[in-house]
Amino acid sequence: MYKSTPIPFGQTEPSCVIRTSDGAAIPFDPDNTDYQEYLRWLKAGNTPEPA
Amino acid sequence: MTNAVALAQSGSSNVTFRNRIINGAMVIDQRNAGASVTQTTGNLFPVDRFFITGSVASKFTAQQSSTAPAGFNKSLLITSSSAYSVGSGDFFVLAQNIEGYNVADLNWGTANAKTVTLSFQVYSSLTGTFGGALVGGSTYSYPFTYTVSSANTWTTISVTVAGPTSGGTWDITNGSGLIVRFGLGVGTTYSGTAGSWTANNYFSATGAVSVVGTSGATFYITGVQLEAGTTASPFEYRQYGTEFILCQRYYQTFGNTSYAGIAAGLNNNTNTKSAFAMAYNTAMRAAPTVTFSNLIVTDRTAYDTTVSSISLTQAGANSLFIFFNLSSTAGGNNTPTLLCVTNGTTGSLMCSSEL
Repeated sequence: MYKSTPIPFGQTEPSCVIRTSDGAAIPFDPDNTDYQEYLRWLKAGNTPEPA
Repeated sequence: MTNAVALAQSGSSNVTFRNRIINGAMVIDQRNAGASVTQTTGNLFPVDRFFITGSVASKFTAQQSSTAPAGFNKSLLITSSSAYSVGSGDFFVLAQNIEGYNVADLNWGTANAKTVTLSFQVYSSLTGTFGGALVGGSTYSYPFTYTVSSANTWTTISVTVAGPTSGGTWDITNGSGLIVRFGLGVGTTYSGTAGSWTANNYFSATGAVSVVGTSGATFYITGVQLEAGTTASPFEYRQYGTEFILCQRYYQTFGNTSYAGIAAGLNNNTNTKSAFAMAYNTAMRAAPTVTFSNLIVTDRTAYDTTVSSISLTQAGANSLFIFFNLSSTAGGNNTPTLLCVTNGTTGSLMCSSEL
């Protein structure tokens, strides 16, 4: 499960998502394997908790 | 045969840094400091760069061990937790995922593909034909076997593999270039005929010994080396500091000691947040996933406020800008503050960009 994060000051969109199982902050970097896993989770029809 | 002759005959193009495996002597364990970890269905790292996983949780444990052959000080110990009967779709493995940059010169997937030799030392309570696999490209794999004839005896293994001339796209940048897998019990779905490349995602060779099939079975491994060439050269024992930095490209921690300072930053009192900009100890493979344990922000006199959660503002492969959400307000708005380990603990900030 994942939780969205607020849009950081000075930016137009969030920069990371929180993995609720361990509180990990996962950056939106296509080379990050945890982010790749998050994208597969989204593709499976899931939705993160709101910020 | 002298080491110099062996190296010359190996056909390796590298005298140093010929070993594509990082932490092959199992000396670095940033995450566990030698403590045992129980296998899950995710990737866990009992020592740096080597991960364990399986299709069913809790079938074996893994930890750094001081049992080692001559010339080594450490190994990785796998211990079976039960006598598990491996089903056709089961898999239990130890593996290392090698970054594409570090195998790009092998030219795999092309007509110029180089031969490689995988060597290692094993010591097991079980005997027989064990298995593993090299995997890369577009799910292209090469199952291999090796024999352990004597129980509880260090045995040197060498497996030479002709480089694949096909297999789709082989990553040669910062993605997964090649996975080296050691089977610890693999069902028929993920086992293939040893000795040839195939367009399947295999974890091991057909008929290999199942370590998880015998309760209490032990399997030690160290001296893992993958190099270009047709024969195994002596293990390349890199200096500790060099090996440690190689590991930090994939995982690094900050803190780890009671009240250790990690970074200086600013409080934002309105939102009970503190912001810190940090540079990594060495550039990471990709922007890392960040976790933490037992951290505070403090001015070292008036307040020690516990960090409750984190959020990234900017994360790259070289530096990080991070927000810490606090359990209560700390200092005044835009006042300087320090990120520290909670007093009396071994807390840390952990950055992972593992493959």
